[in-house]
Amino acid sequence: MSEAENRLNRRLFLHIPTVFLVIFFVLPLIALVVLSFWQTENYKIVREWTAMNYVTLATEPAYFIFFIRSLFMAIFVSVFSVVVSWPIAFFIVRYGGRYKLILSLLLAVPFLSGEVLRLIALQGMLGPTGLVNGVLLKLGAAPLRFIMYSNSATFIALVYLYLPMVVTTVYLSLLNFDFRLASAASACGANRFRIFSEIVWPLNLSGTIVGFLLCFIPTLSAALAPRFLGGPNGVLYGMSIAQQFGESGTWALGAAMGVVLFLFSMLVLGVFSLGIDLRRTGFTGMGRQ
Amino acid sequence: MYQSQNGTDAPYIRIANISRQYGQVRALHDLSIDIDKHEFIAILGPSGSGKSTLLRLIAGLDRPTAGRIFFDGADVTDLPPHKRGIGMVFQEFLLFPHRTVRENLAFPLRMTKQPPKMILERLDWAESILSLNGLMDRYPNQLSGGQQQRVALGRGLVTHPTLLLLDEPLANLDRELRNEMEVEIRRYQKQLGIPFVYVTHNQEEALSMSDRVAVINGGKLEALGERQLIYDHPPTPFVARFVGKSTRFDGAFDAASKRVDLQRYNYSFPYEEVAERKGNARVEVFVKNERFELLPSRSGGAGIPCTVADVVLRGPFVEYILETEADERIIAVQPKREEPLALGTKLSLSWNPSQCHVFPAGR
Repeated sequence: MSEAENRLNRRLFLHIPTVFLVIFFVLPLIALVVLSFWQTENYKIVREWTAMNYVTLATEPAYFIFFIRSLFMAIFVSVFSVVVSWPIAFFIVRYGGRYKLILSLLLAVPFLSGEVLRLIALQGMLGPTGLVNGVLLKLGAAPLRFIMYSNSATFIALVYLYLPMVVTTVYLSLLNFDFRLASAASACGANRFRIFSEIVWPLNLSGTIVGFLLCFIPTLSAALAPRFLGGPNGVLYGMSIAQQFGESGTWALGAAMGVVLFLFSMLVLGVFSLGIDLRRTGFTGMGRQ
Repeated sequence: MYQSQNGTDAPYIRIANISRQYGQVRALHDLSIDIDKHEFIAILGPSGSGKSTLLRLIAGLDRPTAGRIFFDGADVTDLPPHKRGIGMVFQEFLLFPHRTVRENLAFPLRMTKQPPKMILERLDWAESILSLNGLMDRYPNQLSGGQQQRVALGRGLVTHPTLLLLDEPLANLDRELRNEMEVEIRRYQKQLGIPFVYVTHNQEEALSMSDRVAVINGGKLEALGERQLIYDHPPTPFVARFVGKSTRFDGAFDAASKRVDLQRYNYSFPYEEVAERKGNARVEVFVKNERFELLPSRSGGAGIPCTVADVVLRGPFVEYILETEADERIIAVQPKREEPLALGTKLSLSWNPSQCHVFPAGR
C-alpha cells in the first residue's frame, strides 16, 4: 500500500468519525455545560457566569427527590430485568436449537414500533378503564389501583421497554459461553447450584453488567414513561429535565440537571466497568458445542 | 481380581451391556468392559466410534439408554457426575479461565467439602508431583499448553478419585510434549494405583501407555485385551488395520495346498489357520510394516519384486517406500543400518507367514 493511500485510509477511518463525534457529541456537551453556568429569565438566556443553578439543585428538595426516585427506579428496573433475562436467555441458548436465531430476533420485535406508541398501548392496558382493570370491573372485582398512573405503572413500562436489551446482551454472553466448562465443573464434583454460582454466573458477569448498564442508564434519564404513566407522584429526574426545557422554560437549570445526570452516569459506568474483564470470560475460543 | 467392599469378587469398575441411542443414531451398542483397580485402560477408536460417548456415560455426563454401570460394586448408573467421585481430564483442558491455577486445583476439593488442612496438603502435593512451582498464582491464559495440561491433570487427580477419565488429553499438544506427557501420565497412574480410562484415536498413545486396550468401532466393542496381544494378534480385520501400521493384500486360500496366494503378485505362503470357511476362500492379508523382510532381488527366493522409491529416516528406524510392479506403494520399516539402501535398489519383499494376519474377505 502506498504512503498516500495509507494516509487517505487513516483519514477515512479515523478523522471522519472524530469530526462526527466532535460536532454531534462533544460540542453539544460543552454547550450544555456552558449553559448550566448561565441563567434563564422570562424565557431568555442571561449570559452571566453563576453557579446558581447548582445551588438550586442542591437546596431545593424536589430535585433531590426526583433524582433519588429515578435512581431507585433505575436500580429496581435493571435488577428485575437482569433476574428475568437470565432464565429467558439461558432457555434460548440451551434449548432453542435451530430456532435460537428466530427466538432472539423475536426479542427485537417491539423495537419495530415507536416508544411513544408502545407507551400509549401500555396506558390502554394499565389505565383505570384499561384492559386489566376493565376486565376486573366487569367481573365485579376491585380494580388494581397500584397500576393506575403510579410509579408501579412506570416500572412496568420501563421493564417492558428495556428488557429486550438485557435479554439480548445476556443471550449473546451465554451464546459465547463454553458450556463444556459446566461439564468440567460437574466432573469436579460441583452440584447444579455450585456450577451456576462458581462458573456460569461469574464467567457471564461481564455480559450481565453490560446488559444491566444498557438498562440502567436510559432508565435513569427516562422522561416519556413517567409522563405517560407515572401520575401525580411519578415525576422522575429525566421527566423534570424535559419540563425545564419545555413548559417552564428554565433551560439553564435543565442544563445543570443534565450535567449532574451525565457525571453520575459516567461514575456508574466507571465503577461497573471495573467488573468487566473480557480475558476472564468463558469463551475458550475453541468453538461452541 | 480386586476384592470389593461388599466382599464379592466383582471387578472394581463394571460396565455392563451399555447402549446409548440418540434418536435413530446408535452411538453405543451393548458394550461391556470390566476394569481392575490398578489398571490403565485405553479406549481406542476412530472419531465417531462412540468412545467419547462411553466416557461421558462413565462420568455421568450422559445417561445410557440401556445397561448399568457399577463402581466398586455399587450401581452408579443414575447418579449425577458430582456424586460419582471421579476425576476427568478434557481434550481442551477446560480450566476455569477466571480462576488461578491454585483455585482451579482447589475447586474439586472445595466442591467435595474437604477440610482446609487437607486442601492445603493436596495443593502442595499437586504442585510438587506435577512440577507447577511458581505457576500457582497464574491464570490459565498465562500458561503454555503443556502447563495447562498438567493443571488439568492435577485438577482431575487432587481428590484421589475412584477413577480418572481422560478424553484425548494430549491431542492439543505438540509431538515432543506428547511423548513426555505419555510417560508422565503413566507414572502418575502407577503411583496412585487408581484406574485410568484413556480415550484416544491415536493407536500409538494407546499402545505406549495402557495395560489393556479396548478397540471400539461403530459403537461396538471390537476387541479388548492386553496391548501386546491386540498388537500381535488382532482378532478382526478392523483391529489389524487400525492398531499399528500395516499393509493389506488381497489373496486366496487354497485348501488343497494350504497356501495363501496373493492376487496381484506372484507370491504365496503356507497358511494353516483359515478355519472359518471350508475349501477355497478369498482372504485379506495384513502385514505389519516392520515385519517385512527385504532381500536383494537376485537372491533367488520367492518374494514380491519391488524398487526403493524413497527413504525416510526416523531416528533409529528407516522407512523404505517401495514401488511394486502392480504400481502399489508399500512402506517397510527396518532398523537403521550403517548405510541405508540406495534409491532404485531392486529388492524382493517377503514375510514370515506366522507374523502376518489372514482374515476371510468380504466381512
